[in-house]
Amino acid sequence: MKQLYSKALRSLIGAALCLFSFVASAQNVTVKGQVTEAANGLSIPGVNISVKGTQVGTTTDLDGNYSIEVPKGQFLVFSFVGFENQEFKVNESRTLNVKMKEEASVLNEIVVVGYGSSTKKEITGAAAKVDGAELKKLNVSRVDAALQGQVSGVTINTNSGSPGGSSSIRIRGLSTFGDNDPLILVDGIVYDSEGLNALNPADIESVNVLKDGTAGIYGVRAANGVIIIETKKGKLNSKPTIEFSGFYGVQSTARQLNLLNATEYAVVKNNAFLNGGQQQPFANTALGEGTDWQSAVFQNAPIESYNISINGGNAKTRYSIGGSYYNQDGIVGGNKANFRRYNARFNVSFDMDERFTLNSVLLYTNEGRSALAENGIGSVLYNTINAYPTEPIRQDNGRYSYLELVNDIINPLAQMENTYNRSNVNKFVGKEELVFTINEDFTLTNRFNYNVALVDGKTFSPLTWYGPGKAQNTAANEDLDAPQVEIADSVFLERGASVYENRDTYVDLTYEGFLNYSHTFSQVHKVKSTLGVSVFNRSGNGLNATAFNIPNNSVDFADISANQADGGFLNNAGSFEFEERLLSSFLRAEYSYRNRYMFSAIVRRDGSSKFGANNRWGIFPAFSGAWVFSDEVFWEGLNLDWVDFGKLRASYGISGNDQIPNFAYLPLLNGEGVYVIDDIITSGVAIGRGANPDLKWETTHQFNIGLDFNFLKDFNFTFNYFIKNTNDLLFQPDVSAVLGTYGAGGFPPYVNAGDVSNRGMEFEIGYHSNPQNNWVFNANANITTITNEVVRVPDGVDFIPGAGFGVGGVVATRFEVGQPIGYYIGYETDGIYQTQAEIDNAPVSQAGAQVGDLRFVDQNGDGVINFSDDSDKVKIGSPIPDFTIGFNFNVRYKNFDVSGNIYAALGQEIIRNYERQQPYANQLSYVLNRWTGAGSTDVYPRVTTGATRNNVFSDYYVEDGSFLRLRNIQIGYTLPEKWLKNARVESLRIYLSANNLYTLTNYRGYDPDIGNFGGVLAAGVDYGFYPQAQTIMGGFNLKF
Amino acid sequence: MKASKLTLVLFAFLISLSSCEKYLEVDPAYSLGADNYFNTEQDYELALIGAYDLLQGSYITQWVGEIASDNSIAGGESVTDTEGLHQIDEMTHDGVNNELRSVMRFNYAGVSRCNYIMENKDKTDFDGKEIILGETRFLRAYYYFELVRYFGGVPLVIDRSIGSEEVTTIDRASRGEVYAQIESDLQYAVNNLPWNQPIKGRVDKGAALSMLGKVYLFQNKFSQAATVLDRVINEGGYSLLPNYEDLWYAANEDNAETVFDVEYSNLEGGSYDCLICLEGNAAAGFNGIRQYEGPVYADGNSYNLPTAKLYNSFDVNDPRRDLSVLNLDSFINLQPDPGSISYATGGGGHTGYYNNKYIKRQSELGLPDDDLTSPLNYKVIRYADVLLMAAEAHNRNNNDPQALTYVNLVRDRVGMPPLSSSGTTLTQEIWRERNLELSGEGHRFFDLVRTGEAANEIDGFQSGKHELFPIPQVEIDLSGGAWSQNPGY
Repeated sequence: MKQLYSKALRSLIGAALCLFSFVASAQNVTVKGQVTEAANGLSIPGVNISVKGTQVGTTTDLDGNYSIEVPKGQFLVFSFVGFENQEFKVNESRTLNVKMKEEASVLNEIVVVGYGSSTKKEITGAAAKVDGAELKKLNVSRVDAALQGQVSGVTINTNSGSPGGSSSIRIRGLSTFGDNDPLILVDGIVYDSEGLNALNPADIESVNVLKDGTAGIYGVRAANGVIIIETKKGKLNSKPTIEFSGFYGVQSTARQLNLLNATEYAVVKNNAFLNGGQQQPFANTALGEGTDWQSAVFQNAPIESYNISINGGNAKTRYSIGGSYYNQDGIVGGNKANFRRYNARFNVSFDMDERFTLNSVLLYTNEGRSALAENGIGSVLYNTINAYPTEPIRQDNGRYSYLELVNDIINPLAQMENTYNRSNVNKFVGKEELVFTINEDFTLTNRFNYNVALVDGKTFSPLTWYGPGKAQNTAANEDLDAPQVEIADSVFLERGASVYENRDTYVDLTYEGFLNYSHTFSQVHKVKSTLGVSVFNRSGNGLNATAFNIPNNSVDFADISANQADGGFLNNAGSFEFEERLLSSFLRAEYSYRNRYMFSAIVRRDGSSKFGANNRWGIFPAFSGAWVFSDEVFWEGLNLDWVDFGKLRASYGISGNDQIPNFAYLPLLNGEGVYVIDDIITSGVAIGRGANPDLKWETTHQFNIGLDFNFLKDFNFTFNYFIKNTNDLLFQPDVSAVLGTYGAGGFPPYVNAGDVSNRGMEFEIGYHSNPQNNWVFNANANITTITNEVVRVPDGVDFIPGAGFGVGGVVATRFEVGQPIGYYIGYETDGIYQTQAEIDNAPVSQAGAQVGDLRFVDQNGDGVINFSDDSDKVKIGSPIPDFTIGFNFNVRYKNFDVSGNIYAALGQEIIRNYERQQPYANQLSYVLNRWTGAGSTDVYPRVTTGATRNNVFSDYYVEDGSFLRLRNIQIGYTLPEKWLKNARVESLRIYLSANNLYTLTNYRGYDPDIGNFGGVLAAGVDYGFYPQAQTIMGGFNLKF
Repeated sequence: MKASKLTLVLFAFLISLSSCEKYLEVDPAYSLGADNYFNTEQDYELALIGAYDLLQGSYITQWVGEIASDNSIAGGESVTDTEGLHQIDEMTHDGVNNELRSVMRFNYAGVSRCNYIMENKDKTDFDGKEIILGETRFLRAYYYFELVRYFGGVPLVIDRSIGSEEVTTIDRASRGEVYAQIESDLQYAVNNLPWNQPIKGRVDKGAALSMLGKVYLFQNKFSQAATVLDRVINEGGYSLLPNYEDLWYAANEDNAETVFDVEYSNLEGGSYDCLICLEGNAAAGFNGIRQYEGPVYADGNSYNLPTAKLYNSFDVNDPRRDLSVLNLDSFINLQPDPGSISYATGGGGHTGYYNNKYIKRQSELGLPDDDLTSPLNYKVIRYADVLLMAAEAHNRNNNDPQALTYVNLVRDRVGMPPLSSSGTTLTQEIWRERNLELSGEGHRFFDLVRTGEAANEIDGFQSGKHELFPIPQVEIDLSGGAWSQNPGY
């Protein structure tokens, strides 16, 4: 019907125009010709050609040809989106070939919005774009790490600084309890956050972030925002360009903690034992510096990467092919914490005929990663911090020392040496896309995506002896004898070194078909529409096994095939298989009038196999509009010449989140019902996770109002205010014990309960000087402020407990109404008890308090510090920053360029949780300031080995986590062309670059940029975080 | 033309959508649905193993029964290490206590696994089903008994499962109602279980009768207690092991004195994240000597440390003193090379004594983490306990001669002279004998409360309050706030 109308309308208009032109002038001249791109000579179809000041006009055909009758002496105006307008006066019939120049303005930058594209000028939602070149500059392995500070509203925290470690990406705050990762699409193909390891940042053309409700075109998975990554494509009719680039760098730790040296340690420990009423362990405290465990554990580690790519095209084909190698060792563990990636990429577009275009994308990646135990009790850095300096690294006989005075803390160097943990991923990601240009208004796109990952992992556990009583021992004794295991009465088996291997396959298959319509009626009414379907299938299966008695206790034989386990008795195997599906249809309709008023509506219907039949389908609408007020007549009357462009935007949309395990709606017998019957561990059955048949997706309602403002030619400014309310949060809150779900392998059911609100503001300001100048200066800054608040928790639940503090300790973080997600709760301190009289006369009684102890605040005013309930606990911090700030700049003068990237996060706190409260564990040097007598300090409590409440979770263990970091600074020099001419080199740039050169912070730990290693509620808890390295690199970009 | 083509395409989209609803029906791969089970005898057997699993939460009772009493202190790495035990030790425990919450969670998980079987008991018939149901009801009785002696009257859910909506409509039952249910379940078990189960670890008639006797004793139903315990003694074929020391080694388990053990294995590793997931007994490693290096014993976490009061309550000639309580320094001094032996003390307290029954020994190591995977069974009821319970029941039921016979069997085994008193003096002596025989086994606190002696023996114990533990506040909230808290909390 629409088509019929449009035909009718067009013929009507055409008829009217004919009439008009006939009446208007008897002195018409005919002008015809071809319109081409100035840059490459390609014809441009659809260029608007109009007689200035009239409605008379035409457009170029598919080959860029046109013909128009013009009254003599009038001006012809050639206009096309993304190109500068051109005007010609015509006095006679002639051929007029026009070359269109691309418009420099950022307004015409293409923004990918999902199943289509738009321009910065036209877009109605809150979206941001980052150029691939900006990301490549940082020379990091993962695109998420490079995105930090680039886009307002997108908060990125490093989950681990180890090579291949992931980041947590949060678009507009934490909105849910479980998975907060945005939907990540690379060339339309779904990647999970872990899978980003496969992508080489140098291959990226652009990153587009959909932040508001308009992301709803992606429906049930869009609630956390959408990141659309486009990889590099070739260009038609361009000769091949070969680019070769690479860098080599050296990484080191940016910081070591101030730990006690041997002398300080002996003094402090003597004091602690004395206070604990025990004998002082060190008769002589002049022990010198002792062992510096950190210096032994941290090392300088290489990082290197080389890329080659060839881009180009002829009249019908565009291609971009490339390959890369990336290798990074860890600053802790060296090649035991390695990430290595090879990839090959083949992107080609082929115009099969005038109407069919085939776009093909293929990415192959081979990635290997070795990892050490990280960020927890028992991690290498946790052990490093707590190992005491009076112990040498090795004994005289060469063996690693045992650190026998501390429980569970093992020699970190022995630990690294005995860790063999390598995973290897082969990944094939691709897309075959057929675009059918039905006519000038309609295109039909059919595409098939695949993402296949073959994951192989191998962990070798040799027989090791870390010292008597260490829980990590796998050997029976110092001689590395295998322990004997009694498998039946008096039947003993040797349990030697073991190897665990897994082979997992994950396959994502997607079919998407969509029809795009675009037409401008009467040159002022622009209508665009997208209608499509998407079918998604994710499946996976895996096999894993452990085999014992690996010969010679050697990694050389670490393969299941080599096992010598007696009768295979101890060996065991496991497997899994899953499948999940999504079925979706979507419609987007856009209308704009004179590119001044724009309106867009989206509706998506999604069906997800995650939910039961009763709640499988969801409908997600979104509406947005924009007003380019700077194009209004009244605006011109205001004489604000310095304003080039101004647009007001608003959007509202609903999107969903279905990120929960499969079959949470069904009761399954997948719990752990295991008991020892007849001395044999016997498996029975038990219900696992409680079922909730009424489960449905969580919904996020987003409102956004924004302002885009370009002024003084070179400046642009964007402001957004948003309210993002997430309702019916999917999570597993505690349920009553009476339901019986807390057995082994049992979990409470997933429910839809709880609401979270995020509201915030985003500011971006950019300056781009004319690229033709000798001096080129570009800079942009962005500031984000987000207020996160839990609005509702399930009935009967006061809060959801989060991460614990210390060993066997209390819950330190919570999800609680009126507070930000994962805020910290504990005791507030109020100085130190200086004298016994002060304790005796204190209005508040604090059980067990002695002079030199922390004085806690009686929050509920009952005159007692209550240690056995929560009545005196109070909010003492939050992991969520008040502000995050990004600043990027680059300056070019002739052949020199300098660029930098600064990121700051302000107002968040970090829990210092890497100190083991054991008598002999080493400590940070702040304990040198400990209380030693009345008046000595009002901050640092006494040390003691005796019972003390100084180590309950209080604000004493919470530190300001604010930081400002110079993430990257780079100086480059492009060699003058005349030097290169003879070498057939088009350009060569060499550079020096440094990452994490400087961090301004008061935080005592390794790295204040700390994500959430163990889930949302573990954010900000530092167990001895693997820090991001400081890296000095040299590199080159060579173009042929 | 174009328009008609497009219309066709659009229709194709719409059709593909409406016809594909089935596409979203994905069945779980190789997983059993809980709603479609109990079709064979094997299904019942497997579900029963799932119901047994929760017995392994007994490590908490081994701790709490001692730490709450005068027998031991909490210990550990610091006073914030498993803080709930420190609060119980000091009688400052209140509505926020992870250990007490675990007691509630584990035992209700056990109840619900039993109810899952009972709910489906009529679905399939086969020979010997009454034995499976007997075991099931025994287990449910055990779990409810744990709940009632920790918390008093608790909500009763019988033969069905409930959802989180319904739970807010169920109030706490009275203590009497819970006991009535326990007695009824145990009576069924007594009637249907054989005297001897061929398979080690499965409960039998003797266990059910002994459990019933214990339940009667906790309600001061002395005559009924005496009757059922006499049956155990006369018909059960149990006897005391000649050597008291032999009781405490995994190698000697399943002996003539075993009435009801919770079975553990050291063959599965584990982590601190989920102590109920362990197949090993966590108590032994936790009770072990911190960073110990020397003969016999292995390293542990120095929890649950006996007090000097307990150690000194033994007659110096009573072999049970040093077999129950390890006086570490004197043990070390008796070794060939004391100077080479070392250990550490934790910030959670130190008494110099260790639980010598449930402790980590070199001969009983487990897979990593060894601290968590002891093969030592937890002895819920052993024959000596049956004799002492019977003695108490007869004494309180005015049959002192029978009482003396039983208690003196226990004393005779360890070479202690027989008792000869009567009446309340004998009552006191039997109570005392219970702790000499059973200290360190998790009975003390519950015995002191049962006999009304707690306030005399436990520092900080307030009568009228501390007889029961508080219901975890969060459980009250999750029940919709309707449950009343126990008195005094």
